[in-house]
Amino acid sequence: MKRVAVVVAIVGGLTALFLFGLLRGAPDRNVPSNLLNRQVPSFDLPVYERYLAEFGPRLDLADHAGRPMVINFWASWCGPCYAEAPHLEAAQRRYGDEVLFIGIQTQERDARAAGRAFIERFDFTFPNVIDDDSRVSIAYGLFGVPETFFVRADGTLAYKHVGPVDAAVLTERVEALLR
Amino acid sequence: MNRLRRTPVLAAIAVALLLGVALAQDIMLDPRVFDIGNELRCPTCVAESVGESNAAIAREMRQIIQEQLDAGRTRAEILAYFQDRYGDWILLSPPRRGVLLLVWLLPVAAVLVAGGGLIVLVRRWRAAADAVTPVAAEDLARVRAALAGGEAETPASDEAAPPAPAPRP
Repeated sequence: MKRVAVVVAIVGGLTALFLFGLLRGAPDRNVPSNLLNRQVPSFDLPVYERYLAEFGPRLDLADHAGRPMVINFWASWCGPCYAEAPHLEAAQRRYGDEVLFIGIQTQERDARAAGRAFIERFDFTFPNVIDDDSRVSIAYGLFGVPETFFVRADGTLAYKHVGPVDAAVLTERVEALLR
Repeated sequence: MNRLRRTPVLAAIAVALLLGVALAQDIMLDPRVFDIGNELRCPTCVAESVGESNAAIAREMRQIIQEQLDAGRTRAEILAYFQDRYGDWILLSPPRRGVLLLVWLLPVAAVLVAGGGLIVLVRRWRAAADAVTPVAAEDLARVRAALAGGEAETPASDEAAPPAPAPRP
């Protein structure tokens, strides 16, 4: 009787483990950023033509120290980036005077035409820069695109959002930066 | 028509050129780059290391490893560089500290417990095999009588009535 109970316990445990593996879905990639509450890495990247008049040929993060920032990483091949883009532009129009929004095209090389088309499609009024060799995305510990970093005025990371942002996330996190 | 025929050929040439460029980049790398890369998880892949993956970000990470090796950094320093940006998640072998120490200790503990359990079981089985099985005096008398009665009284077929087991010493 005791032996049967042991066998039932082992088989039951293994079955539960198997079912857990089957039903838990895709692995969670929402790993907290290692940069949280630390200074975000600086970068100096080429700017898309549309923003040359306002920002010059390159955007150096150090030139904008002291301003809260929303840094969004995107790629033209990334579906969820298209879903979040209108929310980013709406947030920029609402908070652009107080917060610097920056778009970084990353994880695709020499894709200027596709990048330009993406920017024009959503009429991005905030600067978008090009991280051709993905070095900045590695410096920020990016797992994929889109990812959005909410940076305090002192340059430390307040929050990282993995996946597409929506209006609610943007409002909540930007308001927190301004408090 | 000609254009239609040419398209797959041109596509094949383009793919071959791209692969060639990727391979050429990798061939120029120090073999240590792949050793270190195999200890790092490719951030945009599923179950692939930086050393194995052909994803753009993995290729760039291999390039960074090469640059750091050229700058005289050690393996530990290069791993720490990526760990600083991605956290422990980036390491394929979890560090031996904190809760992650359990990942290393639990398998050893499991082997020890299983081995100990097996030893206990084997001892029990041996003891059970060596133990003298008590036989009722009545049965013993019947066996003795059968033995004393000679071969004639034993059954002709083993299948019909198997011989009684001899008492253990």
